[in-house]
Amino acid sequence: MPEKQAPRRRLRWRPWLRATHRDLGYLAVGLTVIYALSGIAVNHIEDWDPNFNNYEETHELGRALPGEDAAVAAEVLRSLDIDEEPADVFRVDTDEVQVLLEARTLHVRTDTGEIRDEGQKPRLLLRIANWLHLNRGKKAWTYVADAYAVGLLTLAITGIFMLPGRRGILGRGAIMVLLGAAIPFLYVVLSGGP
Amino acid sequence: MNTPKPKTREVENLLRRRSFIRRATSGTVLAGLCGGLYVLDDLLTGEAKAESRSDGRPRVPPGQRVLRALKPMGGTPGSPNPSDFSLTVYGEVERPLTLDFGGLLRSENVELEVDVHCVTGWTVLGARFKGVRVRDLAERVGVKDGVNHVIFEGAHGYTANVRLGEALAPDVLVAHRLDGRSLARPHGAPVRAVIPSLYFWKSAKWLKGIKFVRRDEPGYWETRGYNNHADPWLEERYA
Repeated sequence: MPEKQAPRRRLRWRPWLRATHRDLGYLAVGLTVIYALSGIAVNHIEDWDPNFNNYEETHELGRALPGEDAAVAAEVLRSLDIDEEPADVFRVDTDEVQVLLEARTLHVRTDTGEIRDEGQKPRLLLRIANWLHLNRGKKAWTYVADAYAVGLLTLAITGIFMLPGRRGILGRGAIMVLLGAAIPFLYVVLSGGP
Repeated sequence: MNTPKPKTREVENLLRRRSFIRRATSGTVLAGLCGGLYVLDDLLTGEAKAESRSDGRPRVPPGQRVLRALKPMGGTPGSPNPSDFSLTVYGEVERPLTLDFGGLLRSENVELEVDVHCVTGWTVLGARFKGVRVRDLAERVGVKDGVNHVIFEGAHGYTANVRLGEALAPDVLVAHRLDGRSLARPHGAPVRAVIPSLYFWKSAKWLKGIKFVRRDEPGYWETRGYNNHADPWLEERYA
């Protein structure tokens, strides 16, 4: 009687695929949030400054400010109740002195006492996210961004094959993939492309 | 157990309906006001679009909407302090030159009304910039034969490349004042370039250098998918 052969074990690749997809998904959460938020912020750059909150206001002292530049600056800071040592005081014109502070500049008209107070306050998290997204730092971040892109590709490909049957790529999945791909395709066709 | 009287329920429904109508009306009025403002602003665009420039081109390039004031468009700021300002004019020139802020003020300054066009779709008409013509600086340094491009260098490595002929146009400035006032920080204080015939990203803010070169050197945005030339009338926005 021939010897009974042990049944061949089927290679179960889907659990590995799911595990890869799951762990890569967890790893990508932080970067996806950064890139998505920054993407929305930068997409609408014509409507707002995604990095800084810019402001400008005018104060009227209602009197001329004669005297040395340092004395003008001291008087202006006292009048506006600003408790900060100026980084510099610079006379840019006969009747205009600039008082430079950490994140704002006071443009002082010494003949009229008008002060234009303007500055930029960084949008803390968004500015950092944009800095990373636009790869302004360069250097090592280029490799991180490349690795993230490869990670997203892996997520997309493993995602395609995760489910068997009618909900997978042989059924409903195929329709969803085609729908997703149709969006950029149709946009290019309808808009005339680059 | 007390059941709500039908009359009370009717009153409640009436109030709910009233509140809904009130909210809907306020929403509609607000939307109408915003729409009205948008249309009013667009009247500005419509009027300007009917105008022509002296070269025959329409005053407003295609795809642009006219705004009343420049918008801050970001960038990594340089020092706004005039004391820190130093402009180096160098490259393929006979006599390289470095100017501080005082030197810039002592140079021949002009005040010009120019239209500027941002690649994101807004235009400002008649912005009054004061500064020194790049053409005059080029004359001072003596540009060598064979130079074809000018590289405007801003803070933190920002650059923008411009063809020599366009960089030496009479309305191209190294500007330090806008509409009679010192430049504000978001607009590149203390000094920026102004090149009105090209999209505004070519007008480098926080200007530090002007380099004359024989071979083109695509700049910060030009190497990130934006057009190398950037003519607003040809809508040269992207590569």
